Parts: sequence; C-alpha cells; structure tokens
Amino acid sequence: MSILLDSSTQVIVQGITGAQARFDTEWCLRYGTRIVAGVTPGRGGEQVHDIPVFDTVRRATEGRTIDASVLYVPPAMVKAAVLEAIDANIGLIVVTAEYVPQHDVIGIVAAARRAGVCLVGCNTNGVISPGRSKLGGVGGMNPSEIFAPGRIGVVSRSGGMSAEIGLALKAAAYGISTSVGMGGDAVTGLRMADYVRMFEQDPETDAIILFGEPGTDNEQEVAALVRAGTICKPVVAMIAGQFQERYPAGISFGHAAAMITDISKSASAKRRLLREAGIHLAQSLEEIPDLLRQALV
Amino acid sequence: MIRLSEAATKQWLRQSGLPVPWGAAAHSADAACATVEAFPGATVVKAMVPTGRRGKAGAVLMADDGPQRGDAAAKLLGTVVNEYLTEAVYVEERIAIDAEYYFALLLNDAMPEVLVSRRGGVDIEDVTREAPEAIVRASIDPLNGLTKWAATELWLQAGATGPSLTHLAELSSRLYDAFCRADGLMLEINPLVLDKDGRLHLVGAMMGVDPHALFRHPVWTEAGEPLPANPRERAVALANRASQGGECQYVELDGDIGLLVGGGGAGLYQHDLVLEFGGAPANHCVTPPTSADNRKLKAVLSAILDNPALRGLLIGFNFAQMARTDIRVQTLIDVLDEKQIDTTVLPIVIRLFGAGEEQSRAMVAGRPNIHYVPRGTTLKQGAQLIVQLTAAARTAAENHA
Repeated sequence: MSILLDSSTQVIVQGITGAQARFDTEWCLRYGTRIVAGVTPGRGGEQVHDIPVFDTVRRATEGRTIDASVLYVPPAMVKAAVLEAIDANIGLIVVTAEYVPQHDVIGIVAAARRAGVCLVGCNTNGVISPGRSKLGGVGGMNPSEIFAPGRIGVVSRSGGMSAEIGLALKAAAYGISTSVGMGGDAVTGLRMADYVRMFEQDPETDAIILFGEPGTDNEQEVAALVRAGTICKPVVAMIAGQFQERYPAGISFGHAAAMITDISKSASAKRRLLREAGIHLAQSLEEIPDLLRQALV
Repeated sequence: MIRLSEAATKQWLRQSGLPVPWGAAAHSADAACATVEAFPGATVVKAMVPTGRRGKAGAVLMADDGPQRGDAAAKLLGTVVNEYLTEAVYVEERIAIDAEYYFALLLNDAMPEVLVSRRGGVDIEDVTREAPEAIVRASIDPLNGLTKWAATELWLQAGATGPSLTHLAELSSRLYDAFCRADGLMLEINPLVLDKDGRLHLVGAMMGVDPHALFRHPVWTEAGEPLPANPRERAVALANRASQGGECQYVELDGDIGLLVGGGGAGLYQHDLVLEFGGAPANHCVTPPTSADNRKLKAVLSAILDNPALRGLLIGFNFAQMARTDIRVQTLIDVLDEKQIDTTVLPIVIRLFGAGEEQSRAMVAGRPNIHYVPRGTTLKQGAQLIVQLTAAARTAAENHA
C-alpha cells in the first residue's frame, strides 16, 4: 500500500488561499489527490478550485475523515497551524515552509511526537505515492514524467534530488512505492530512520533508497537499524557533499543541516558507517539501478 | 546566528527581571566618564566585543570615578581584541565575588541543551579539557522547559549545596524562559557570580539569536554582523539582507569553474562530481527558489562572473518541479549582456529542464559556447562536460598568453 498515503487518503490544505497553495492544490487534484477541504482563518465560505474553505481545522474536519494536512502557512504561523492540526487529530502533517524559527520547530516536533502524529518537514517539497496520490509540490506540473509507480521506497534530504532519483529509476524501468522529501533542516519531524522503518513494514516496498547529506545523525541511526537486523530489505544510499571536507569546518554550503561542525557527520564518515552496516553505496545516480539489481536477486 | 552585543544581551535579561548588574555601553571616553552620573560606585570597563577570554586579553579594566572610566575607555577603544575591533566599551557595576559559576544553553538539535558548572570565571574550553566531569550537561524537553526540580538536580550533580542551590536552580529555570522568548540559539553566562551576601548576578552574558525569528524582535538586526572581506561574497551577503524571502549565499573557492547550482542536495552532488572529474570549483552558492523577483539570483550570478579566476560556468539544477527555467536563463542573459562577457572564451553548460524550457533554449540559441544540454542529460554528464570545456578553455588561454 505504499507508506504515508495512497489513493484513499483524504487531505485538507491549511493556508489554501495563498498563491503556492493554489498552484500545488491544482496539480495535486489533477494527479488524483483527494483534497476535500481547505483552511484559512477569516476566509471561511470561499472556494479554491471548487474545494470549500473553512476558518478552522476543526470545522474543515467536521463530518469528514481527514487523514492528512498540507501546510502552506508562512513561517511565523507554522507553529500554531501545526498545533491546530494535532488538536484536530490529524495523523499526517506536511509542512512546506522554510525558515521556521528554531524554537517553533522543536516545539512542534516534540508535540507531534507526543501525540503520535507523523510530521513531515519542515521545508519539504512533499510526498508522492506514484500513480495514487501526492502531497505538496513534488513532481510539479507533470509528476508522471518523473515518478513511475513501482516497489522502491525513496527518502531524500533534498526534494530536488528525489526527482533526479525518480528519473534515474524510471530510465532503468524501476518504479516507486513512495518518495518522501524529508526536508533539509537540521531538525525534522520524522527522521530518516522513521521512514526506513515504515518501508520495512510496507508489503509493497522491496528496497529502500536514501539520499543523505553531511550533518545530523540521521544516517547513523539508519546504519544502526540495519546493523541490528531491524531492517532486512536492501538499502541503497547516496551521500553527497564529500567536497566539504576539503574546506575549513564551519562554512555553510546550502542546507542549514549540511554544515559540518563535527567530522563524524561528514559525507565520508557517513558513507563508511553505512557501508560497514551492509548498505550499498552509490557514488552517482547512474549506479543506483545496478546496485538495486544486485541487491534484489 | 546573530550575536547580540553584551549591552543588548543584558538589556534583554534585565527586562526579563533577571539579576543583571548596572551597566551601560559607551562609544567614547567622554561618554564612559559621564556614566558616573547614572552610577557612582566601583565599576569595570570592558571592551564590547562578541568573544570570551576578554580578561586574559587585557580587555577588562578596573575603574571607579568618571576620569578613570574615561581613561579605561580611551585605552580600549580602537584596539583589536581576539580579532574584533573594539568600537564600544561596557561600563558595569563591580560585584564583590564570593563564587563563580558557569551556565549555558544551546539549541542546535531537537532538544535544547543546558550546561552548568561550578567552575565559572575561566574559559569553559579549558575546563572541558582539564576536568570534563566538572561540567554537567543535559537535554531539555521543549514541552516541559527547564523545570526548577530538573535544574536543582543538575546543580546538585555539579556540586552546589545549601541556599545557593535553590537560588541557582530558580535562576536557571528563569534564564531558560528568557532564552526561549528571545529565540535564542546560544546563551552563555560566565561568570554567574555569587556575592558575599548570597545573591546571584549575571556578570558575563553572551547570547546568539535565530536570524529567522527577527520578526518577533524588531530591535535586533543583522546589521551588526560582520561582512565577508571578499568583495563578491560581501555583495551577495548584502543582497541577501536587502530583501526578504529565500536566501542566497556565495562562497568563493580557489578553482576556475563557476557553479550556479541547485540549492540543497543537487548543489552538493554536482560539486562532488566536478571534483571527481578533475575540475576545480571557483565557488559554491545557494540561490533562492526562482520567483518573479530575481534580485538575489542576479547578485549571485554577478558575483560568479566578477570572479577574475573564472574560466567556465555550470548552471545545473534538478528537473524543475516548481521553479520556471526561463527566469534563470533570462537572468543569465541580462548579466552577460550587462557585463559584456565574451562567451567564446567562457564555456557555459546549462542543465535546466522543466517549465519554460522551450523559451529558455530559444534565449541562448545562436550565442557562442553556451551548451544547453539535451533533455535526459544527467547531472553527472553536465558536470563532466563543463570540466572538459573548461580544461580546453584554460589550455587555449595559456597558449594565447
């Protein structure tokens, strides 16, 4: 059934009246995502692409079963919007905003964890179960050109690289069960290991692909799970950013999380750890299909 | 992170009702002398620079009356302390010290961290090296905060006892609240002073705050943050501050292949690839997601093209899911024309697929040496091509010279 979402997942969009939300909502609807309501305080009664808009999440969920919420609210309002969604018992919350204040991030991550809610992001371009449904901007205006349905699970620190992985798999006639852009921030709701555990449990996923970057303990946690035997499905990992080790520590090269402050979190240290745990390492996207073929015999 | 000055940090703590000694910033010897009207007692005059080890650097002087404060300020102003120029001094009430403690809060992961120690008043780096067990470290659950009982436990472990234990715990808990309300990323109190009467004082205080939370703190700005010395890096840093929205970055390196590459993962990946093929990047950069406002993109492109070492340029992005390719290519054309750059000696590889691609290809058609690679070209192939073309351009230039 893929992870996190499938064709029956019912979705609301918080901040649906904004420009990016309207754009993504249109392309999600065309893809088949079951968006059933939107929320913008003060705009209740309006419609966006024939979807009714409500003033609160509570009202948007009344009389409906809502499985997921996608948030397009600006960074300053993310914390309140996530807490509102948690309060309305929504089990999957996807936060697209970048630059959410750090104290707000740790607050919502802790609140989601306590409530047992799946929080994707912040700073994610979304989740797609190809051929079934998608949340967020992933795939843009033509997701089918990038993501083919199939049995490979993908979790990526970079939304852009999840598209490149989709293309590389498609070119080699592989398809995807679910592809998640987990967000590039230092602190995210669900962590890489959480997604890997979900893929392990998913009967429609045969193998898992990771795209990682320097910084944070995400890959170390996955390596520990594989070493412990908790994860039995083949895992192929690609870790970018080795070049950083040629330069002085502390220079930021992109994603906030990808700044090396600790050499044990560098790309090569992560690659070594993953390889020692039995994970297949790809140096380039082109190597991924071959590694999958070897792993899946 | 934005580092607040000692004066701004203490102002925040004072407003939060915490025990901060009397103090005032002064930008001249006269102003330092005049502080005697506001506070007549014994003081110290400190160079107001965002660094520790000031005592060791001779940047903390004793001064009592006005003229002494003026003399101390005259000595300190204009000096360089731990690589920072002293542009102001902080005149502060001198506290009679009975004991010195250390307290710090850090936020760089999902749980804030607290550090306490009875070994205050010295460099925490030295304590870490010589007696790591003297520092007690713990995570704080953001939903609970730093409770008084948890803080009591920490100070007990650090060896505090008696009445000062409860005072330290209470103060720690309140410091955590003030830190959260400030959107702090780092707060260091060193020394945290216990005076002869058993009262606590926040004598050394430094705080760094979240640049993405400034909308809640309009009095703090990035304006005081040091700018890079490299003129191209400085121009991009200023462009970044000039408008809201997505962020841009430019870091100059010592190679000759300019990189205008996707912000996150694809940028890291392509940089790795260029090195793997034997090329040397002239920079790394981050551009915000493209919107109608292309000022930041333009600033980054200008910086890349202004670098005198430049011999080739790779414009490589992920298959566009949300951004339009033609905005990027139009910006490239604008900057090339503005700077009258001859692309016959500067190979450019463009790997931009997605919305607006047809218009993008038309824009560069007929321009020499701009290689807009065909659909299906991988990021790896794009990186390989720019390395080859740049090597050829380098050889041609060397032969010419």
